[in-house]
Amino acid sequence: MDARADKPDPAADAVAEVLRKLAVVWAAFEGRLDTTPLIRRLDRGQLSREGYLAFLCDLRQQVKDGALWMSRAAASISEEHLELRSKLMRHAVTEHRDFRLLEADYVKAGGDLETIRKGRKNVGSEALSAWMFHEAGKPNPFGLLGAMFIIEGLGSIKAQEWGRRVKETLGLPDEAVRFLLYHGENDVEHMQEFEAMLRLVLPDEAVAERIVRCAEVTARLYVLQIEEIAV
Amino acid sequence: MAALRDVYITATGAFLPGPVVSNDRMEAHLGLVGGRASSVGKRALKWNGIEGRHYALSAEGAVEHSNAGMCAAALGRALDDAGLAPSDLQFLAAATTQGDYLVPGHASAVHGELGGGPMELASFQSVCASALMAAKAAWLNVRAGEADRAAACAGEFSSRWFRPQFYEDSALIDAKGRLAMEADFLRFTLSDGAGAVLMEPSPRKGGVNLKVEWIDLVSLADRFDPCMWAGSTAEARADMTSGWSHAGARASHQAGAIALLQDFTLLKRVIRAWIGVWMQKVDEGRIAPDAVDHLLCHYSARSLREEIVEVLRSTRAMIPEEKWFTTLPESGNVGAASIWIMLDAFVRSGRVKPGEKILCIVPESGRAMVGFMMLEAV
Repeated sequence: MDARADKPDPAADAVAEVLRKLAVVWAAFEGRLDTTPLIRRLDRGQLSREGYLAFLCDLRQQVKDGALWMSRAAASISEEHLELRSKLMRHAVTEHRDFRLLEADYVKAGGDLETIRKGRKNVGSEALSAWMFHEAGKPNPFGLLGAMFIIEGLGSIKAQEWGRRVKETLGLPDEAVRFLLYHGENDVEHMQEFEAMLRLVLPDEAVAERIVRCAEVTARLYVLQIEEIAV
Repeated sequence: MAALRDVYITATGAFLPGPVVSNDRMEAHLGLVGGRASSVGKRALKWNGIEGRHYALSAEGAVEHSNAGMCAAALGRALDDAGLAPSDLQFLAAATTQGDYLVPGHASAVHGELGGGPMELASFQSVCASALMAAKAAWLNVRAGEADRAAACAGEFSSRWFRPQFYEDSALIDAKGRLAMEADFLRFTLSDGAGAVLMEPSPRKGGVNLKVEWIDLVSLADRFDPCMWAGSTAEARADMTSGWSHAGARASHQAGAIALLQDFTLLKRVIRAWIGVWMQKVDEGRIAPDAVDHLLCHYSARSLREEIVEVLRSTRAMIPEEKWFTTLPESGNVGAASIWIMLDAFVRSGRVKPGEKILCIVPESGRAMVGFMMLEAV
């Protein structure tokens, strides 16, 4: 707010506008997610152990691809945007073993390791994953920042809430809910980091539009993935 | 078809019962549940920032006003200010979370207390946002030419619900005699009073007139279970057949269903959803934060979590705190009546200048709703 009193800053204007549109997409996404059968049960404290296992099993098949599409996206970024490329690569490294955590939770919660490893993607996960790889293969796929906003938002806003609810409902130890619980708090630092990434590619009207569109598509396909989990 | 008319809030009124009850006396005023002090009270007061409030119950528990009576008193003050009498009203809309009776509607009770001869009525029952439902009905009636003088009022008598006997012998009290958190927190949050506004198709000479530009209400009940409710238990609340009216009053009391309850985990999600609606209004251009001169919000800026403030800042959707006007610390949270109590104090503060835009925001946790009203001083 105060920045505007100073000299004009088109990058800051564009970043604020994209963030606002992303916040609107997020709100609609969260509303839709909360009304899926799985999340409704989770929120109401009615999730069964089988439901939790199905949740982990289905998530694992898509989470496994997360770091991979991010790496592909990094590989598609030209040398004019090296800083963004570095950020994506670092991000991919931090996350590329997360699916192992999901497997460990699955086993601790009473599931069989072979079952989760041999599990296949549900229809929603297939669509989500295919869409991410497709987008990541395009030259300078900055629209994927919108996809990251949704996926990161799940980690920082929803995961801990879900994790705590799973623990309460099923009486599981922390070691069976680590993937959901370990995600960072929804902190201010997180949002400022994302803002800094947007500043690397904005202002650019076409990029701004693509970021918001990618967020919309990712959000819809993520909901489809959750809808497809049998509870 | 006749053109729609401009509509102005030409007078306001508020009624706060009895003396101010301070934080150190409020719990004793309501009565100690099971004879022991609450374990969440201090935390609740710190969080909501309330320092004083009013109760329609005396410290001895005597009922000194009815909800309808407080509404009639607030209406009387607004009408007095305009030099009018109840008989000048053609339309009255009344709002509350819970009227004095279950049946008939609150507006009938208010009309009964107010007098004024035959008039058209509308009753609105929800939580805080019911105030704006009533305001919208009054506004549209004047706007469409159905009435030349309409009033909207809202009243709350929350303290009735907070007396120890409302909880005793129910499942809300555990084996150690402690009241469940979902019931206890609200005892330190809500209090009593009423407020009213008068709406007319032309400004009144000499006073402050506020043109009502628009009123928007958005419900998100399709995605949330009840967040603040009475009539079912926390566990059963998603099932409408669990309501007290199905189980009967005695069984429902024993189950802990006849109490005002709030789910604080769900509230965090509801707050995010309110912010989402706000962002959408800003994004669509319905609200330009820069163009708002005064914000009257039925929520404390201080209660917003840091990450929410950060979202508002980074999206340039924040209205700086120096533009916020509130009576929350001194008059308490009076549910649906709060926005009118705030507006009345705001108008009487003399700080509003012609041409200024005043935005009123009324979030309702009930089942997730938020209302907005844009005013322009003329």
